[in-house]
Order: sequence, then C-alpha cells, then structure tokens
Amino acid sequence: MPGKHLTFVSEKPCRRCKENLAVLVVRTEPLCRDCFLRYVHTKVIKRMESFRVRFSDNDQQRKILLPISFGVSSVTLLHILDQHLRTQAEKTRRTGFSLSILFVDTSSVEKSCSGDTLMARVQERYPDHQYASLPLHDVFRLVDKDTSLLGLVPGLKSNQDLSSPEQLSSLINSLTSATARADVIHALKTRLIVEYAKSIRCEGVLWGDSTTNLAQKTLAETAKGRGFSLPWQVAEGESPYGITFNYPLRDVLKKELVSFVELSEPSMSPYVHEPSLGATQASMSSKNTTIDDLMKQYFESVEENFPSIVSNVVRTSSKLAAIPGTSSDPHCSLCYMPVAGGRFGIHGWGGDQEDGLEVPVVGGGKGLCYGCTRSIPSS
Amino acid sequence: MAPSLCAICATNRALILRPKDHSKLCKPCFVSVFETEIHHTITTNALFHRGEVIAIGASGGKDSTVLASVLKTLNERYDYGVELILLSIDEGIKGYRDDSLETVKRNALQYEMPLTILGYDELYGWTMDQVVEQVGKKGNCTYCGVFRRQALDRGAARLGVKHVVTGHNADDVAETVLMNLLRGDLPRLSRTTSIVTSTPSAVSSDPNSHTNIKRSKPLKYAYEKEIVLYAHHKNLDYFSTECIYSPEAFRGSARALIKNLERVRPSAILDVVRSGEDMAKLVPGSDEGCGGVCASAVAAAEEGEGGCGSSNGRTAGGEMASMEMHLAQNDLAAENGLEVEITSVPAKKGKKNKGQPPAPRKTTKQVMGQCKKCGYLSSQDVCKACVLLEGLNKNRPKHEIGVVDEAQEDSTSGVQGVTNGINKVNIQVD
Ligand SMILES: [Zn+2]
Ligand SMILES: [Zn+2]
Ligand SMILES: [Zn+2]
Ligand SMILES: [Zn+2]
Repeated sequence: MPGKHLTFVSEKPCRRCKENLAVLVVRTEPLCRDCFLRYVHTKVIKRMESFRVRFSDNDQQRKILLPISFGVSSVTLLHILDQHLRTQAEKTRRTGFSLSILFVDTSSVEKSCSGDTLMARVQERYPDHQYASLPLHDVFRLVDKDTSLLGLVPGLKSNQDLSSPEQLSSLINSLTSATARADVIHALKTRLIVEYAKSIRCEGVLWGDSTTNLAQKTLAETAKGRGFSLPWQVAEGESPYGITFNYPLRDVLKKELVSFVELSEPSMSPYVHEPSLGATQASMSSKNTTIDDLMKQYFESVEENFPSIVSNVVRTSSKLAAIPGTSSDPHCSLCYMPVAGGRFGIHGWGGDQEDGLEVPVVGGGKGLCYGCTRSIPSS
Repeated sequence: MAPSLCAICATNRALILRPKDHSKLCKPCFVSVFETEIHHTITTNALFHRGEVIAIGASGGKDSTVLASVLKTLNERYDYGVELILLSIDEGIKGYRDDSLETVKRNALQYEMPLTILGYDELYGWTMDQVVEQVGKKGNCTYCGVFRRQALDRGAARLGVKHVVTGHNADDVAETVLMNLLRGDLPRLSRTTSIVTSTPSAVSSDPNSHTNIKRSKPLKYAYEKEIVLYAHHKNLDYFSTECIYSPEAFRGSARALIKNLERVRPSAILDVVRSGEDMAKLVPGSDEGCGGVCASAVAAAEEGEGGCGSSNGRTAGGEMASMEMHLAQNDLAAENGLEVEITSVPAKKGKKNKGQPPAPRKTTKQVMGQCKKCGYLSSQDVCKACVLLEGLNKNRPKHEIGVVDEAQEDSTSGVQGVTNGINKVNIQVD
C-alpha cells in the first residue's frame, strides 16, 4: 500500500517542511512521512489536553483505561500515548497519567483473534503500562450486583448455578440474527470495559474510535433504533456509566490510521490484527451481514473522496444534547443508556400499531431500551 | 413444505410475507392489518377532525393513490366525517404529467372525489416549459424545486382548504433522517420527522390571512413495499414510473442504505424513523417543548414532494463533492485560526459555487418570517419563489439569466458573490 502513495505524489514536495518529497495527500495537503506521523500525533495529543502534567497531582497518579482490540486504531492510540508519556517523563520526570491496557477476548462467541500472541508482543514493545486480558463472560462476574443484566440470560432462573461462560453462550445462542449477536456482544464488551475500569479505579476510558468509526456508529445506532442515546455515544465527557469517556482519535480518519501503521518505523504491523478488507466484503452478501458491517463499508468508501463529510457527520451528531436530568432516568438492562421516563421496549409510540390489532402485546418486563429490545425481543 | 396458515386468522393459507415483520398472512388479513394501522396512526395522532375538508396531494403514483383509496375506505368505515378532495399540480412540462394526470382523473371517478388540477402557470404565471425556455436547461431544477415545495400549499390556499395530506411513507421519512445526518442538517432532521407540519397560507389576495395550511403524512409508518402490495391486492389504478430525475447524491446514498438495512433487518426502516423522532428532541434549540408546532412549521416548506428528490435532480455526485469542498475550506480556515463555524451547508450548489468562502455565521437558529410578497414562510424578507419569479418576470422579454439560479440555493448568501470562489479553491488544492 505505501507504494501506492509513493507513485501518487512522488513529484510533489511536502507542504509542511518543504524539503522531503510527499508520500501521501492528507486532506488536500501533500505530506512527507515525518510530517504525516507528526500530524497524526499532534491531532491525538491535542485531545489529551486535560491530562497534561501540570494538571496531575503529585501524590496520586491519574489512571486511565485504554481498551485494545489489536485493530489499527487502538494500537495506534497506544503507540502515540506511549511516545507521549515517554516525552513527558524525559522532560519533567513525571507523567500526566498512567495507562492500563485491557483486551477483551470475545473468541468464544465471535470470530476474532484470541489475542495471546499479540498481547505478548505489545507488552514487550510498550512495557511501561499495566496489562490485562479478560474473557467476555467475565462481565457477568463483574456486574454480579446488577441482576437485571443477568436476567437477560435465558433460563437462568431454572439454572441458578450456570457458570459465566455458560451464561454468555446461552444468551448469545438465543439471538436470531447476526446483527443482534454483534449488537449484544458489543454492549456486553462496553459494560465489561467500564466495570473493569471502575474496579481498578480508572477515572476514564480512552476509546480508539476514529472519525470514520464515530460516523459509522452514528448511523448504525440510528438504524438500530438508538438515536435517543447518541449524545452519550459520540460526545466526550461524563458517560451514563459514571466514568468519563474520551475519544482521542476522533479527529483522525480510519484511512489515516492505516497509513500511520504502514509508515511508522519500526513497523507496527506485527501488533495489528485487522481482518483484511476482502474478508469483510465477502460476507456482505450473506446472511451474516450486520448493520455495523453495512455502515462500516459505507463510511470507508465515503472517506476515500469525502473525508470532510465524514467529519461533519460526527460534528453533527456531537451537537445532539441530552435533555437535562435524563441521566437519572432508568437505565437499560443491557446497554445501560438512560431511557426517558423508563419507557422501555418497542411499544407505545407512533410507529407501534399493535395495540389497535388483535395481536397480543407482550410485556417489556426486561427493562430494555428500544434498540436492545430489537436485539433481544421479549417473549 | 406444507403450506402455512395465516398468522392472524389461522384459517386461510398464508400467501403474503409481510415486509415489515416477515409475518405470514393471508390476503384479507394483510389488507385489513394495513388499513387498521393507518387508522391507528390517524386516531392516535388526532390527524383529522370532523367536518374538515382535506386535500390529498395526488400525483397518480402509488403512494398518493393508496392514500386516497385507504382514506376513502377508513372515512366510510370509521365515520371520520371528513370531506376528501384530490389536488394535483401540473408543472407544465409537456408530456411529463400527461399519463399521471390521466390516472388522477380516473382515480377521481373511482373514488368519487372532486379533483382540482392546478398548473404552475396558474400558481406562478409560468409553466416549467416556459421557464426552461427562459433560463435554459441548466438552472431549471432550482425553479422546479422551489416552486414544487410551495405548490400544494398555494393550491390548497386557493381552494380554501386548510389541510393537505401527502403520501410520504416510512421509507421516505427514514431516508430523510439518514440524509440529513449525512448532510449535517439537524434542524431539518428534526422538522421533517414530525407527522404534522404546517406553513402559513400563501394567499396573496389577503395579506392579513395567517391561517395555517396543515400538512400531514398518514402513511408515515407504512412501508413502501406494503404500499405496493396493498395497491396490487386491491387492484388499484396507479401510474408507475420512475421519476425522470435521478436523486441527488445524499438522498441517493441514504436511499441505498435504507434498502440494504431493510434487507439485513426488516424493522430497520421503522427503527430509523423512531430514532429520528427521538433525535428531534435532542436538537439544541428545538421547539419540542411547544408540542412540536413551532419546530414543524418550516418542514412542509422544505420537504421534497413524493420523495423522488426531483427538485435536486441533476447535480448527482456533484452535490457531495461541492459540500466536501465547502467543508474542507472551513476546516482549513479553522486550522489557520480563523473564526469560522459552519452551522449548515447549502443543500446543493451549482459548479460555480464550489469555492465560495463560508459566510461567518454563528447562530444555529434561523428566524422564520413571512415573505413580504406572498406571505409564504421564509427566512428572508422575500421567499425564494418570489425572488425567482421576480427574476423571471423582469426578463420576460427573452434574456440571459446569469447568477440568480445558482446563488439562490444558499438561503443565507445573497445573490452575488459566486464567481470569486473558484480561484480560492485552486490555491488550496494544488
Ligand atoms: Zn515534511
Ligand atoms: Zn439498551
Ligand atoms: Zn388471515
Ligand atoms: Zn414569496
């Protein structure tokens, strides 16, 4: 791939340093390798302003959780923050914060990397941080006080002593579509990451979503009936989970992160597990396509020629503002988003026409929001 | 495989896989469920009141034909006590409306509803063919779009009718939600999700008249596929044709996404509509607090007719490209420390507009007033239609119209200021 960039702009000088030849064009600006890497680095660090050294307390080190999936985004985020922390330490002998890295292993319920090898490699390359790896089913262990989440597992009442792995597979196997499985797995993963972050006293979570990712999420959540939750899905700050969320990569496009991994030296490729694009596309026609897949494919094509439109989608959804006081509304049992007035389920709105028909209305007793009810229908 | 029984009556053989939820139904049950749901929409939203005269915006296409048929059925079955009439607009494009207007005329007989056909010449003094003759093929989309948006309201006002219903269906609404997210237009997103919208009357003969023309979409929650099925099973007489214009890029993109989403999860269309309604409440400065009345006031004025997006026809991919340019410029300006914020981007622009530097603007909320000339809802002193008409009338003796057609699309920028843009873009790009 770098070859493509090279042939594309080899004749042009870098717009920034005016010395080297440009290796790629970033939003109309031809940049050389060094200037490009610096460009991404700066964009990320700019979003970490609130974690500067001078805001840190001498006695108590601030701790933040960085969930890693070994995709280009989270690995790049780790790489940049690692570099940043080293620089801080060299300059001031201390750092603004410390990082805890968490990998969630979902290989028991979806096709994904198990992470062991990559985890070892990453740990060796970036040794200054705390590392942990948890299987997804640990979510049931960590939220064990939250019986409403456990209540979603089918047949749990009759099987009080199901183990966590059994609970997980029982829940996932009860779902009838690829979209529902991906949706529920994603929600559980978020819950696990948050619970873990709290358990080790992190003050926040640094998500690795790129601009492209956040745009994709905006449309995917809209399509899944979770438009109501967008203020908490893309904006930074206090989340409904009682912990702050930050998106340091929110000003960087996915394709820029891919270039970053390619161009960095020594190469970061050994730390990245990214299913090849061909693999995603091959499954597009089959039954296994999910709403997230659709949106991912869509935005990766849009960012090719219309990067600013992608950013504008994120800027737009970030403007959606939670109605004051909603954070005290009842939470959804699965995704934990506040549901206005506790109006759970898919009934009781204009588009629900069942109460006028001879169709039995099933109670939404599980306390799921509209979107989660689409994934886990009550029956 | 053994034939399965209808999920509702459990008696007849199921012949229909219901697009909305994939339930298996027999024909009579499908027809009855479809009608009952629209009745439910009408009653829960209190769309109609007894004694009201309601004009059905009729194009002869499937949506408005099904709407007319269902409303007639329901009005008789449930005794709404409303008077239904058909209102059609003839743009005056030779040959284009002939077949569909014939269909509407037959519908009027079939449903025993009075029909009024109003031409652009009657409403504006110009047929589209005359406009094209005047301004050439290139700029005429602008005129058709602007005129079309107001035509039903002006027509209704002329007939003294205060309520117009249109055939917008769930697919159209879902498409509009995604399209406005892609275009970054939250105010419009929130306005167009309402089931009822209204615009001040366009009665020019009585400038003191502030009566509202109410617009509603009884088919808002009905799937396009079910509308087609209903028309098929009821043997309805409608004119099926693809719109002669291709949708502009954002709408086309949104439409393709909706079709794919429906394939992956049939409920997705409804789910997008639901998301749109919820998001409307989260738009800063939205008027949901007043029951949506204020917020929805502008929607009707902005909505495309029949969901074919025809007003935006010819620019296809160019529309996305020009918005990309516009946004990229703003980003660059912002990075260079200039105080620029885009709050909304012109819906579409001609090529000449591409590099137009963004107008520094900070307020999100447009103040909507009334056009001084015609009384129609407008963010400017004089509405777009009147500005266009003024231009046309001034040049009645055949004359070249240069800038007006392109520039008017950006409601905030004046008529001038179009040509300088191109140079600026080139400087940034090379
Ligand atoms: Zn350089
Ligand atoms: Zn939920
Ligand atoms: Zn039946
Ligand atoms: Zn006017």
